[in-house]
Order: sequence, then C-alpha cells, then structure tokens
Amino acid sequence: MRKIMLIAGSNLRRAKGQVASIVVLILAASAMMNLWLMLQTDYQQNFRRYHEKLNAGHVTLAVSSREEALREDIAEILENDERTVEYEMMDALSMVGSFAYNGGEINTEFVILEKESAQNKSMERIEISGYGDAAAGDAGTLAGEEPDGIYIPMIYGGAGGFAQGDTMELTIGSTARYYTVLGVLNSVMMGSHNCSMSVFLLTKEAYEKLEQDGLAPASTLVSVRIRDGAESEEFEALLADAVSSRYPGVRILSNSYTTVSQSRYISQMICAGILSAMACIVTLIALVVISSGVMNDIQENMKMLGALKAIGYQSRQIIAALLLQYSGLTLPASVLGVALSYALFPMINRMMTAQTGIPYEVHFLPLPCMLSLVLPTGTVALAVWFAARRIRKIEPVTALRQGVQTHSFKRSRVPLDQTRLPLVPALALKAAASGIRQNITVCITMLALSLVITFTGLMLENVIMDMDPFLHMIVGETADSCIDVNVDREDEFLRQIEEDDRVEKAWLYHSEEVRHAGGIALIATMSDDFSDVNNQDVCVFGRFPKYENEVAVGIKYAREQHLSVGDTITLAAEGKEAEYLICGMTQISNNLGKDCLLTREGYERIGTFTHTSYYLNLREGTDIDAFHEEMQERFGISLNAAINILAVIEGSSAVYVSLMTMIVTAVLVLGTAVVVFVLWLLVRTMLNYKKREYGILKALGFTTRQLMVQTALSFLPAVTISTVVGIVVSAVVINPLTALFLNGIGIVKCTFAVPVGFITAAGAGLILFAFVTACLMALRIRKIAPVTLIGGE
Amino acid sequence: MKEILLQTKSLSKSFSTGGVMQHVLKNIDLTLYRGDFTVIMGASGAGKSTLLYALSGMDTPTLGEVWFGERDIAGLGGDALAVFRREHCGFVFQQIHLIDTMNVMDNVLAAGLLVNGDKKRMVRRAGELFAAVDIPKETQKKFPTQLSGGEAQRVGIVRALINSPEILFADEPTGALNSKTGLDVLDVLSRFHEAGQSVVMVTHDMRSARRGNRILYLKDGVVTGECDLGRYVHGDAARHEKLSAFLTEMGW
Repeated sequence: MRKIMLIAGSNLRRAKGQVASIVVLILAASAMMNLWLMLQTDYQQNFRRYHEKLNAGHVTLAVSSREEALREDIAEILENDERTVEYEMMDALSMVGSFAYNGGEINTEFVILEKESAQNKSMERIEISGYGDAAAGDAGTLAGEEPDGIYIPMIYGGAGGFAQGDTMELTIGSTARYYTVLGVLNSVMMGSHNCSMSVFLLTKEAYEKLEQDGLAPASTLVSVRIRDGAESEEFEALLADAVSSRYPGVRILSNSYTTVSQSRYISQMICAGILSAMACIVTLIALVVISSGVMNDIQENMKMLGALKAIGYQSRQIIAALLLQYSGLTLPASVLGVALSYALFPMINRMMTAQTGIPYEVHFLPLPCMLSLVLPTGTVALAVWFAARRIRKIEPVTALRQGVQTHSFKRSRVPLDQTRLPLVPALALKAAASGIRQNITVCITMLALSLVITFTGLMLENVIMDMDPFLHMIVGETADSCIDVNVDREDEFLRQIEEDDRVEKAWLYHSEEVRHAGGIALIATMSDDFSDVNNQDVCVFGRFPKYENEVAVGIKYAREQHLSVGDTITLAAEGKEAEYLICGMTQISNNLGKDCLLTREGYERIGTFTHTSYYLNLREGTDIDAFHEEMQERFGISLNAAINILAVIEGSSAVYVSLMTMIVTAVLVLGTAVVVFVLWLLVRTMLNYKKREYGILKALGFTTRQLMVQTALSFLPAVTISTVVGIVVSAVVINPLTALFLNGIGIVKCTFAVPVGFITAAGAGLILFAFVTACLMALRIRKIAPVTLIGGE
Repeated sequence: MKEILLQTKSLSKSFSTGGVMQHVLKNIDLTLYRGDFTVIMGASGAGKSTLLYALSGMDTPTLGEVWFGERDIAGLGGDALAVFRREHCGFVFQQIHLIDTMNVMDNVLAAGLLVNGDKKRMVRRAGELFAAVDIPKETQKKFPTQLSGGEAQRVGIVRALINSPEILFADEPTGALNSKTGLDVLDVLSRFHEAGQSVVMVTHDMRSARRGNRILYLKDGVVTGECDLGRYVHGDAARHEKLSAFLTEMGW
C-alpha cells in the first residue's frame, strides 16, 4: 500500500495543472448533482412535512353555499367513507378574482377566511408570519392590526412584491377592494394560484364588510384528511361529484393532495431537471478528460512504468496507484462540490421558495450528499480502470526501450510532398490525424456543448425574447381578454360584443371540471367551434372535437391511461355520465396535462353551464382595462370576471422568463468554462507530449506564432466536425428532449422553432472561440527554447 | 581575400546557476569566412556549444554583437531569430533530433517548405540531397525510429541543407554514431564543403576536426588559438601532424 501511495503521490506532484482542472470539473459536477438531488428529493418531501405540520387536508373543497343541509350531507358522505380520517368545515367566501402580480396580473379562485377563525382551525392550519421571518415559517408578532388588514400567501409576498403595509387591490368578481397587507401566510393546500385556489385572511372587520357586501358568495370550506394521500384524486372526484349531483346550483372548487403536491413544484422540477442535465454533461466531460489524462500519463511515463515493472511492481499495483491518484482527487473535489452546493443552496432556496410558496429550511441531507460523493468517485474510478487496463499488457522491456508508440508507422498521414495544403495547416492536420484520443475528448466536449448551444438558442428564441411559442405550449389558448358572464345574460353579451367594433373576435372558451370514469379530475375546456381558437397547435395529434360525442384528451393523461385516438371514455359531471370518442390529443400544462376539450353540446350531455367564459381578441390599441370596466358597468353582478389575459400571462410568465434567463446564463458561463478548461488541458498535454518536437521545429526556424497557430489548428478538424454534427443532431433532437424535460408539467410534444440562424452563428462562434482559446493556451510555446532542448541532451 | 560571413564583437554569455554567475563566453571577437570549414575545439565545458548557439541565433548572447552581413542578430527577438535561422542556417545535431511522428521525407520538407513554398522544387531538391547522401527512395518513407544512426544523421544533414543555407552548423555530428557511420557522415560533410558549403562544426574528436580547414581552440570561454590546416585531403599525414601539434600547444 505504501508503494502505491508513493507512486500516486509522485504522479500528483508532477501534474499540478491536470489536478487543478480535474478538481474544478468534479467540484462543479458534484455541486450540481447535490443541488439537483436536494431539489429532487427533499424539496418535495418538504411539502409532505408541511402538510403534516399544518395538519392539512388531502382534499379541499370550497362550496358556494352554507346551507346546513348541504353541510350535513357532506358530513354524512365523509363519515360513511372509511377512508376519512378527519374533516372540518368552516365559513368562507369564495369567488374568482385577480390582483397585480409580477408586473402583470394573477387570476385565481379566492378563498377568503376570517383571520381569528382560521387560526383556531384544528385542521388545515394556516401559519401566519411577518415578512422578516417568512422563510422560517414562524409565527411572528405583527404590526398593529388594521381594520382593512389582509394576510396573503407567502408566494405573493415574495415573488409578488407585496410588502407589509402595502395597499393591495383585490378584484373580487368584478369589483375592486383595497386592503392593507399585514403579513404573509403559509397554507399547504391553498397557498398558491397553482393549487387552483388561493386563501386570503381578512381581519374580522374587513371580512364582515365583504360578507355583507355580497361580492363573494358565502361558502363552506371543507378539508378532509384520508388514510392514504395517494387516493386523494379519486376521493376528491367522489366528493365533488356527490355534492354537485345533490346540489347542482352550487359552485365547487376543489383540489387534491396529489395534484397540489406536483403543481406547486413546477419551477423546482424544471430547475432540478436542468441541474441534472448539466451535472451529467460536466461529469461526462470530467470522465473524458480523466480517461484522456490516464492514457497520457501512461504514455508520458512509459519508461518509469517499465522501470517500476522491472523492479517488481505488478500491473495491479500500478493500476491501483492510478485509481488512488484519481480517487484521491475526486473524493476531496466532490466534498468541496457538496460544500459549494450548500453555499449556493440558500440562494436557490430563496428563488424556489418564491415559486413554491412553502418555506424550506436548508439543512444537511445525508443521502444526496452521499450520492454526490459516491457517484463521481465511482464513475471516475471506473473510467480510470478502463483507461488503465492496458498497463497489464505492457512488457517492462518494451516500456523501458521505447514505450508503446501511439503513432501508427504504417503510413504517413497528410504527406507533405503530396498535400496541397500550406505547411502550417498541413502539419496541424498531421497532428490532428495522429491524435485520436485528443480528438475523442474534443468531440465529446463539443457535442455536449452543441446541445447546450441549441438549448440556449431554443430558450432565447421561444421563451426569453418571444414568449408566445412557450405560452402556446404551456398556457394553451391566449387572447387579449376573457369575460365570464352568467348564462342568463350570455345572449345579450354576445349581441353587444358583436356590435362593438373594438372586438375583433370572440369565442367560447370555458373550462369546467369533469371526471373520467376512474374518478380523476380533468379540466374540460369547451368551445362552440375549435376552428375559431387562436392556438391551433393545442391539438398535437388527431383533431379538435367537432361533434357532441367527441373529446380531445390531454396527451400526457392519455399516455398514462393508455388511451389513444379512437378509444371511448366515459366522462362525468354533476352526477351524469356520457361516453365520448377520443378524436385527438391535446397538450396544455395548466392542469399538469389532465385536460380535455369538448364541444359546448358535448359538455351539455353531462353538465349545465351556469356561466360562460368568452375569449376576446381586441382591436390594436384598445385599452383592455377600460373595456373591462365598461363591461362591468353594463353587466353588473352578471359579469363574474373580466380578465386581462396579457397581464395575467405577463405576471405568471415573468417567473419562467427570469428562471430561464438565469439558467441560460449559467449554462453559457459553464459551457465557456468547460471549453477553456478542456482545451487548456489538451493543449497542455500536447505541449508536454510534443515539447521536443516544438523545440526541433523552433530550431529549424518555425516562429512561436506559427507553432501556436499550428497547435490551435490541429484541434479545428475535431472541433469543427463535432460542432457541426452536434448542432445538426441537436437541432433535430432538441424538441423531443425538451418535451422529455417538461414531461412533468404535461408536455409530451414540443414544437419550438429551432433558431437555425442563431445556432449556426453560435456554432461558428464556438469554433472560433475554441480556436482563439487554443491559440491563447498555446502561448506557452513561447517558453520552449530550442537551445534548452538541444543543450539538455 | 576571403568574404566575411559572420563576425562577433565582444561576445559574452553568462549563466546564473544557483545565484552564482558563470561566464561561459568572454569578450570573443571572431570572424568566420564564407567557404570555410571552421572547427571549434576545446575541452568539455569550454563553451564550444554555447558559442555555436550564439553564432547561429539559436541563443542570444548576454553581451556583445553578432554581425551577419549588415545585421546584428544579437539584438533580435525570438521570432526574428527563428526567421534568421530558417533563411541562413542549417543545423546538424549530435542527437540528430528528427521528428518521430514524421517520416523521412516529411522531416526534410517541414524545414524546406518553411522557406520555399514551391513544393515541386523542394521535393526535387530533397531528392537530389537524398541521392547525394545515399538515402534510397524506400528509406524516405520510413520513420526516424526505423532508421540506423548513420541513416538518421544523413537525413539530418539533408534537412539542414534543404534550404541551401549560407552556414551549416554542426554540433558534434558524429558524437552519437559508431566509427564507421561517423566516418560516412564526415565524408558527406566534406563533400558538401568541397562543393562550397560554409560549415561551422563543434567537436572534441580529432578525426572529425581534421575535416576542417580552420581550427579554433576555445578554453574557458576565450578563443586561445587558431590553426589554418588548408584544404582537406584524405590521408594527408602532414596536415594531421600540424593539427596534433596545434592541439598539443593548446594543451589538448
């Protein structure tokens, strides 16, 4: 063992630059791996922990009625179901509403509770905190209670930008109300617009005033804990169906543990996905660099290897020394990487918490830490073993005499007397043709970076610079305005907008919850004629429904349920069921892919419209808010909601834009660092390997500049070929890959426009950058003095 | 009247070793003439090779001047010296220093095409030189590790002469060869000298020194003596005795 340590120590001392490069690569890979694993595992576990801590329900229903009979019926249903563990009902106000958010607007279902009553709840507890300690989740002493005080979900305080003491305008239904923000709250099942409902606490006075005004229906909030959270979707369906069938006039909002636990973590899933991809790419590059390093070590130290074998060292001892050498680098580098990830995690946590709206306390996680140490070390050990196996075949005498020649002497590649190339490029090509390992390293690096460039271009083009393609994919339908009116005024509404020259187009686009036969809630969107909708790309396979017995189903859901076009499914709503023929597959991520499209007549087979939402395209230059105010004046309480869709999209998409901008920046910085790093390592190895050759060429009259260019040019064939191939292949596979990546939020088919111009220019830029970097790295050639070479002999 | 090829004025070269300055060449004033076969002799450590490198622009002197025609090359930078070397000098090394990853022809053309891009002309010139040093066509396709010592050094000479240099610098060209192949190499050098090639050779071998017409003796960084042997004639005993007497006088 001592001998092995000696060899490993000696190798490490001789290759300080290589050591530094490997340490940095492994450090970056381990840091990203640990961040990914922490986000992937514990971050979602945190939801479960908070769910338990606040004794939250697995199913939440907000029913627009406080009738005693209704409550008794619900109690009966729950008590008769053996899955029920605990339930609670309390008074609430519920209504669709909106407020300013992130430079745009959020439109969500409000569940408004009186603060004192909410705090005395035994179930579905709501944690209140001041702004300073929001992340810790502790209840703090709040500033003096204002009569119009409101407590808002943490997500709106952080990402939304509302601070304590700010005035918040809530548009409830169609009427604006102003409240003073007293603090933020944490609710597991109702703490974000991603939960289908957002809870707000009002002070007693403010609550009573709102209740008296009748802006929002007096409602009942039902929270139910069941034995197994995995059955929450089915339970939610059963409960909602049972209530709606007995009380068809009431409006029901509901959510389940399964849906909320996923929907609140979309940003975290995207971030974890990107981190995992980057960790894999950097690990792969590190492995290639290490394998190449091992092979170079063997080549450079061939005589020493022969000497060691001659004095009695066994191959396995020398391989063990290499394993020890590289593991001895990888393990401490991984430890540093894990430490770095913990240094970065608070920053990422702040960003993620602003999106999930659930406080998370950064703490040590043994499993991700262990995996982040074991995986890089294990894969490196495997790569070293693979690369070092040839040591077993090297005879000591051969090693002592010449070493094993890597160059094939069978024929001269790029013979100078035959090539038409000028001398320097010809010598570069000759070097490139004989450096197979160097080329492999360059190719793998450039292929990975080409993918990164294509991804960056895709995100820049379709998310950061122009959000429309992203929105079309994620949001589904877009328009300028959405107006929801009660059905009794629908005809009048349609007549008026028909006459209104500000309205270019109006079409029914109304969503309601329906149930698939298994009990799973699907958001059904209805239209009179889907050929009128703006986003014709929603239907990714088959076609939109045309007839009352047709349905287009969310593709993610269809695949999960093994449904295909031509199958028949049973949908239910309000206690009625009907069979539908699947005519197409849709892709909308609003409900994590659990969506379907029906015609108006199709929905009316199982449900009744009490109100309808219309999407409107308004003429260019129309003041949308003024138009809404006018509509509100005309239709009064019959107008349930007037939503400025552009503002809503801006509000919710700003998060994705900033997240994607950050990711693209990080990816570019990392990509640049990787290019510099890998080329530095390769040029350094090449200079060491060819020091004598460079000395001879200098003695013959080659200038430093010629040799630098020759060295840099020798990388160009591999760089160019792999970048071109990488860009072309990436352009083809980037959409399926992105779809795979976004699968968690219901995306299975991605049709982003691949920015050919950008990726071509970026690919050319990458090649140029690699060439310039190689030239700069080759500046060390200046230090090679021919006289030292000759005099040293 | 001989034409001056290279001239040094107060040429000095010092090295710092472990903080101690070593003055290897001390104020050397020397003139080399076109068409001469100049041999620099001296004991080990006398500064022979250092002088050769300073004369050839392979190294820069610490002080002094090295005039090549109207140009002082002592003040030139690394790249300018490289250009000077490629245009005016040829080198033959003791360790030969062929590039292992290139075959014989490429080793020669790598130097040749550096100065003259006319490939056909260079290939033809290389062919003539290979013929002159008795390197057959099939050997031209071999790689350096496949050559014998003598063959390799003859290839080294071809490489040195491919650009028709004004001076051929040879540093112990037979030092790594056995006596038979050493003699072959010396014969080649003599033939080229006979054809008009100026040669400056460093050696501590009497047999090699005999090939020169002018012998310089270097001792402790100073040229302490000079001997004019006249034109080389194979088996000329008087010439041999003259050289022996000179070397004895110099303390050889």
